[in-house]
Amino acid sequence: MTNISISSIIIYFQKIRRNLSSNLFNTFLSLVLLLIISLVCLNTFEWLIFDANWKVVGSNLPLFAFGSFPSNEHWRPAIWIISLLVISIITLFGPKWKWLRKNLLMAWISTIPLGLYLLYGGFGLTPIMSRHWGGLTLTILLTTCSSLLSLPLGIVLALCRQSSLPLIQKLSSIYIDVMRAIPLIAVLFFGQLLIPLFLPVGIEIDRVWRAIFAFTLFVSAYIAEDIRGGLQSIPKTQIDAANSLGLNQYQIIQLVLIPQALRIALPALTNQSIGLFQNTSLMAILGLVELLGVGRSILANPEFIGQYIEVYVWLAFVYWLVCTIMAVLARHLEKRMTINPANF
Amino acid sequence: MKPIVIAKNLTKSYTKGLLALDNVSLTVNQGKVLVVMGPSGSGKSTLIRTFNGLETFDKGEVNVLGIKIDPDHNERKIQKIRKRVGMVFQQFNLFPHLSILENITLAPVHVQKRRQIEAEEYGMYLLSQMGIDSHAKKYPSQLSGGEQQRVAIARALALKPELLLFDEPTSALDPERINEVLDAMRRLAKQGMTMIVVTHEIGFAKEVSDQVLFMDSGKVIETTTPDIFFSNAKHERSRKFLNQLDKY
Amino acid sequence: MKKSQKIFVQFGICFFVISLVGLLINNLTINLTRTGLGFNFNWLFKPASFALAEHPLPYSSSDNYAWALFIGWLNSLKVIVSSLMLATVLGTLIGFARTGKNALLSLLSAGYITIIRQTPLLLQLMFWYFIGFLGFKDNTFIHIKNIIKISNQGIELSGLTLSSEFSALLFGLGIFTSAYIAEVIRGGILSVPKGQWEAFRSLGLSEKKGLLSIIIPQALPAILPGLTSQYLNLAKNSTLAIAVGYSDIYAINDTIINQTGRAIECFLILLTSFLLLNLLICNCMEIINKTILNSRKYN
Repeated sequence: MTNISISSIIIYFQKIRRNLSSNLFNTFLSLVLLLIISLVCLNTFEWLIFDANWKVVGSNLPLFAFGSFPSNEHWRPAIWIISLLVISIITLFGPKWKWLRKNLLMAWISTIPLGLYLLYGGFGLTPIMSRHWGGLTLTILLTTCSSLLSLPLGIVLALCRQSSLPLIQKLSSIYIDVMRAIPLIAVLFFGQLLIPLFLPVGIEIDRVWRAIFAFTLFVSAYIAEDIRGGLQSIPKTQIDAANSLGLNQYQIIQLVLIPQALRIALPALTNQSIGLFQNTSLMAILGLVELLGVGRSILANPEFIGQYIEVYVWLAFVYWLVCTIMAVLARHLEKRMTINPANF
Repeated sequence: MKPIVIAKNLTKSYTKGLLALDNVSLTVNQGKVLVVMGPSGSGKSTLIRTFNGLETFDKGEVNVLGIKIDPDHNERKIQKIRKRVGMVFQQFNLFPHLSILENITLAPVHVQKRRQIEAEEYGMYLLSQMGIDSHAKKYPSQLSGGEQQRVAIARALALKPELLLFDEPTSALDPERINEVLDAMRRLAKQGMTMIVVTHEIGFAKEVSDQVLFMDSGKVIETTTPDIFFSNAKHERSRKFLNQLDKY
Repeated sequence: MKKSQKIFVQFGICFFVISLVGLLINNLTINLTRTGLGFNFNWLFKPASFALAEHPLPYSSSDNYAWALFIGWLNSLKVIVSSLMLATVLGTLIGFARTGKNALLSLLSAGYITIIRQTPLLLQLMFWYFIGFLGFKDNTFIHIKNIIKISNQGIELSGLTLSSEFSALLFGLGIFTSAYIAEVIRGGILSVPKGQWEAFRSLGLSEKKGLLSIIIPQALPAILPGLTSQYLNLAKNSTLAIAVGYSDIYAINDTIINQTGRAIECFLILLTSFLLLNLLICNCMEIINKTILNSRKYN
């Protein structure tokens, strides 16, 4: 027993040695790299533990999480974020009961009305205006709402672009290509500015929803292209088979093409939503106090002036963490789907 | 004798003036099995694909189950035909995102508007006929080629068709898997199913078919009984083809 | 669908789109008359009366808006081209390090790629600007004789001075995009079948020679389209210049809107500028693509 483990350890080290020192240059390179890495790590840890003044983060944690949401109502966004975390954990490590797996998608979708209810209030909760929303809560809200709205729009656009009707095909192509040519910040900025101009007098939409609509218009063009890629990679024989069974055009799209295209496009779609999560930070320079916006407002506070590194490192860590969670969830979903497509 | 398929002077050309079908005529009666043979590119697949409207044609007329289609054919008529004609493809073409049972119940539920439970019961019956009812909850990618093709046959049978079209059903299978599919087809023929089969399987053609149709470059070279075709083919072209098949 | 049906459906959709656009334009005109702004481009030739810190061509605040916008476009082009070069060099190096044999180097590049890709670009830009350049405590970070001087005034490279805004943007965009380019390069190298590696090794070619003459030529057709889309992304991302106060085309449009309220006109100008930029990048890449593919005589 010990013999085996010792020999396997020896083989393991031999492998590493072979990997790192196949020739003189490689050995030298590895040593230099090791030296640099250890120096950088040492310095970073020293800074993280001794030099950095984490008070700027520690004393502002509620601000980072909830923005200027009234402090006696903090439990509301907290419940929402916790419920999102719980669902993530259930998705990843939860039991494989069939009814649970089947309802998971519904649970994910229902987190959005839940979040909106908890934030807006009404029906027994104190109503709170959207200008008090902020921090990570607002970042997540922007991401989830825009993702959910842009998916159906993206599907419709992709189908229109594949349509045999030339007019529809042209219109959606123009929309998709123009949207993909302009920078996101321009879409967001003009969304804030122009959406009110295009609405009838008297109807107003608050800043958060204007941002969500702008994100939706932007992201749906990208999603449409991902789904079009999925549609194009479905073999023509699938349509033959569906036709020979007597399914009509709409049934073929709904029952055969869309489900397969979504599965094929899933990795690209999750990348889009991770990108969307990062890009919500753009709203920080357009007047919303989301996660990065909170960081900026804290840095503007004379008490914490100049503590850029601490705040930015902390923010980078939070963004990195959420993105990584999203990526792990996505990879998990893909893996399950290749084993058994029912787990979608 | 009720004719199920009547084709008259079918002609279809590809863009370069090549004829995929050149004045093809044939009749298949109820309960009969027609085997279509010929070298690759001879138009066999194109021919049977015109019978359920997957392929269009330029001249002639097809009458399937009493429904006439002509070159400028009508979607509604083709849809009617497809509800009564099943098809099995070379590459199985199962829907990868649906389970075996869902593959089978898709058309009954959405095309014939039958109840889910009823469709599932009949689907399970068909799967047990094909000897693969234990795989009902699995997905196509988890099955072998032979099993997938038997699922495809069950899927085609789920609409209770009056005619089955087979487009080289065993060509994509490993040699040791071919017989399980041919056995299923033999059983169907015995039960009196009308079938048109494009295949290279001589054994199957000899044993099961009532008629053999030999095609080359879009033309029908000869139509005879299997006895005559395999022992004493009239045409030089047919004999050459059979000789080449024998070598494999 | 029948032909008549198709025409009918298209007609219906056309009607719907036109009436929707009409409704929006109607609302717009009502709103514009309410605010007292019409829709015209006459203001383009009035003096801009704002100063620009950076201008590759002569500019003063008495020049007109059109000239200011053109300067902004040139500024955009300048930062795009230079960070594009930085990103390409860096990305290629990291991409090869990621696929290379040295496990330590590969791990290090993987770490670089994930950290860069999992944090927002805007945060990275602010990091480079406020910490990287404005944050130098003793004002000067590196000073090697007259060759290079990096300080909170920016970069001075033997006579060529780069402002700290430009430098932060250059580093931020370059490093961010390099992580994506590294992935494109890696994908391209991995797209070459394993058999090709085995084949050149079995012929006795060295790793370096094999990589250069066998693998890379085959990887290029897979790499170039990905590279083009990363360059387009870089161009679009360069509009985040506004966060560090660099006057690119978007920032100047923003200033003009603040001054004049001409949102619709500025939106159209920005749209055209970007369509032009995209066209420029796509055409350049197309030329590169063609020359490479022709010189190698593929297929």
